[in-house]
Amino acid sequence: MRRKLIPWLVPLALLLLWQVSGSVGWLSNRVLPTPAAVLAAGWHLGASGELASHIAISAQRAAVGFAIGGGIGLLLGILTGSSRIAEDLIDGSVQMLRTVPHLALIPLVILWLGVGEAAKIFLVALGVLFPIYLNTHHGVRTVDSGLIEMARVYGLGRWDLFRKVLLPGALPSILIGVRYALGVMWLTLIVAETIAATSGIGYLAMNAREFLRTDVVVLSILLYALLGKLADSVARWLERRLLPWHPAHAVALPAALPGEGA
Amino acid sequence: MSTGVAVEAANLHRQFGAKVVLRDLNFHAEPGEFVVIVGRSGCGKSTLLRLLAGIDRAERGSIQISGEVLIGLCSSARMVFQDGRLLPWLRVGDNVALGLPKDNDGRVRDMLDRVGLADRIRDWPAILSGGQKQRVALARALAANPGLLLLDEPLGSLDALTRLEMQGLIESLWHQSGATTILVTHDVEEAVALADRIVLLKRGHAEDEWLVDLPRPRDRSNPAFSGLVQSVLGHVMEV
Repeated sequence: MRRKLIPWLVPLALLLLWQVSGSVGWLSNRVLPTPAAVLAAGWHLGASGELASHIAISAQRAAVGFAIGGGIGLLLGILTGSSRIAEDLIDGSVQMLRTVPHLALIPLVILWLGVGEAAKIFLVALGVLFPIYLNTHHGVRTVDSGLIEMARVYGLGRWDLFRKVLLPGALPSILIGVRYALGVMWLTLIVAETIAATSGIGYLAMNAREFLRTDVVVLSILLYALLGKLADSVARWLERRLLPWHPAHAVALPAALPGEGA
Repeated sequence: MSTGVAVEAANLHRQFGAKVVLRDLNFHAEPGEFVVIVGRSGCGKSTLLRLLAGIDRAERGSIQISGEVLIGLCSSARMVFQDGRLLPWLRVGDNVALGLPKDNDGRVRDMLDRVGLADRIRDWPAILSGGQKQRVALARALAANPGLLLLDEPLGSLDALTRLEMQGLIESLWHQSGATTILVTHDVEEAVALADRIVLLKRGHAEDEWLVDLPRPRDRSNPAFSGLVQSVLGHVMEV
């Protein structure tokens, strides 16, 4: 019980200090609104339904961009991981494109696609593509060659070899890519929404800045943090769900009980 | 029960770069025979097994399985590797079912029962001991009724007591299945305990062979048993 409480003491104390210094006037509301003010802003925006619609549009951009970029990265990674010809043909080009920071493309993307949904989804997809691609490629490439050899001796065809050996073998690496890509996804979205948007959490923050509503700005920052944490939890849940065989997720069981030798 | 295949290999030559591993090797096995190949490490015994399985190809020479020239993978052969090679993401039962046609529940259960692991069918391989993993690997190898069973030092990484138990298991599985069985090992006592015929591989060719004419299961306290072990060991160690 005590061990569960102790880690909370410091954040709670800081929160209290923050609230008190705001309330007695040491900290101007212009600089940093009190936690209570942020909560109140959240309550107010939540009640009007405005908050939910901004969150929904941001989440939708994130999800669509992730699905497109992640899907392409996964397909390309599997292709170049399992075929030498595909690797020689594609991998070099992807590695070259990867060195361009995708956020540097923002001016170009705005020129091409304007400031609409397509631009943001394109940027998210582009940012997500590379970590998924790299980890998928690496995962497929590093599946134990002994297992592949065994599968061939046991008469598995190409499709079964892929389904039962290559894909599950690459999955731990792919999921590491997914977790990393989720971070990139939110970062890209924050930047894209603060630069050019008429809706979404980033827009909420930038709009509030014009009206000096620091409480809403802080609220938006906290929302991003919360959504990031949520995405990470989903990724962890996926890992536990998809890799139940993995020693890292196994229920603690002794490898061999004494007297059970063979 | 399947019928074991006949194996006939003639003038096999295999080299890796400049290193010749097999030179003009002749080898044969009768249907249902238990042949054990012994030799020091690097004598080419694993390479021979891989050629018979069709995983690897010889530069020269030919292999015939039941009179047919082997091209590509040998479809009647199943192999058990030293490191087991169970798929860690498939449960024990699904590992045994690998390469079996669909609707194989009964067969999988039956095979696990024969190796004494029927109650572990839903377990992940990671929680099994080394000996248990090899039992599953044996069940998987025999599930499809192979005509040729290739065992590449399957007991190499087990402790001495587990090895003894597993040798008994391998003998009874071989007896039940009727498969032609070729075991590679560097343990001469294991060879004498299991073999109908022992082949000594040295410098890439079959140097010597012994017929083991002792009643099964073999009695290790029999002077003939230890005499044969000493005799084979002497030839293995001879430079």
